[in-house]
Amino acid sequence: MVLKLYGMPVSTCTRRVATVLVEYKVPFEFVSIDVAKGEHKSAAYLQNQPFGQVPYIDDDGFILFESRAICRYIVDKYPAPAGTTPLVPSDIKGKALFEQAASIEYSDFEPYAYPAVREKVFKAMRNLPTDQAVYDSSIETLDAKLAGYEAILGKQKYLAGNEITLADLFHLPYATLLAKAGSDLMTTKGPNVTRWYNELCERPSWNAVKDGAKSFSSY
Amino acid sequence: MVLTLYGLAAPLGGTATVAMTLAEKGIPYTFVSVDLQHGEHKQPEFRKKQPFGLVPALDDDGFVLYESRAICRYLAEKYAAQGPTLIPTELKAKALFEQAAAVEFANFEPHARAAYNEGVLKPHFNLPVDPSALNACISKLSDNLDVYEVILGKQRFLAGDEFTLADLFHVAFGTTLAEAGCDLMTSKGPNVKRWWKEVTSRPAWLSVLNNGIKTTMCADDALSEP
Repeated sequence: MVLKLYGMPVSTCTRRVATVLVEYKVPFEFVSIDVAKGEHKSAAYLQNQPFGQVPYIDDDGFILFESRAICRYIVDKYPAPAGTTPLVPSDIKGKALFEQAASIEYSDFEPYAYPAVREKVFKAMRNLPTDQAVYDSSIETLDAKLAGYEAILGKQKYLAGNEITLADLFHLPYATLLAKAGSDLMTTKGPNVTRWYNELCERPSWNAVKDGAKSFSSY
Repeated sequence: MVLTLYGLAAPLGGTATVAMTLAEKGIPYTFVSVDLQHGEHKQPEFRKKQPFGLVPALDDDGFVLYESRAICRYLAEKYAAQGPTLIPTELKAKALFEQAAAVEFANFEPHARAAYNEGVLKPHFNLPVDPSALNACISKLSDNLDVYEVILGKQRFLAGDEFTLADLFHVAFGTTLAEAGCDLMTSKGPNVKRWWKEVTSRPAWLSVLNNGIKTTMCADDALSEP
């Protein structure tokens, strides 16, 4: 049975998973959940994702949620495509540096990028009042955090070393919404962050799904 | 050569999380206290180890690593042969571990940390507490713990029936909630209460509480009986 990805086409976390499925050339069926109608809070949905969030996958009966966990599972299960390095290193030190980079993403980037995008993009989309103070303080902290990124990316190509890993790709969905939120930090913080960010934006897998996750039956 | 752990010698946050993992695995280490009060962690010298100016950091014979959960994962993998298995290796069990680990940093930590900052740190620095801000994070935590109550009614720990790092990662911030005036970990429901008691009664955590975070002299020293 082909892997099924349940989510919302433009959801950040759904596109995070779709990116990695496309990177690894895994065929999948995309099933759209009607978030506007609250389908993700229905009793049936909660059986599979008890927190009522998108996305989740059904891999031949194996249910998994949390976008980063799903991405790790894909990289664990499938071989990297010919001619590419795996998105998670297997040697102990390389793996540790990957885990460090993955932790940086959810500790030093997402907690600040997400509120900024929520206030100025998601709330605006739903005609809800935005909190400028939350946006301002989130961007201020993100600016300071990106100084750490600038230092790291001056010594190596990607966050975990000189090969791209899941840790870099995990940034794409929120990083690419910052401009829409009103912040150009990703391209003005420093030359190293700019170089890294622009390279990520050119990734074919991201470009295949950035406008909306969809099914891929072959590659 | 022995591991060196740099951080804050207090039973909360990232340093304590790593100290608990070192104790679970019986790994001896040297502890170097970083003077947070005087901003040592923000100085250029420390930033060579940790470019974000945060604690903890680990130096394993010249291999430097930071981010407490990454350090714990490294220790779990390097010392896989001793102590409890803290990360499963089988494909699906590992995926369910990653799911639980993601739930911790996405659905638990942000609200527990916010409650700690508002309800414990602010009074500590004589700053006024914002009751509605405190209630907001406790309320979100409560909603998420409703789901933990369901999950922990079906299995012993968050990733399955074995204790893993996903459970361990909750301890060092979860235990500060009571101090912030939030008793959710024991009042939410019988399943969360049972799990929380098991996790916080582990000898490794009790050794952090009772012996403190400090240099251990040998492997036997690394895990003391409570």
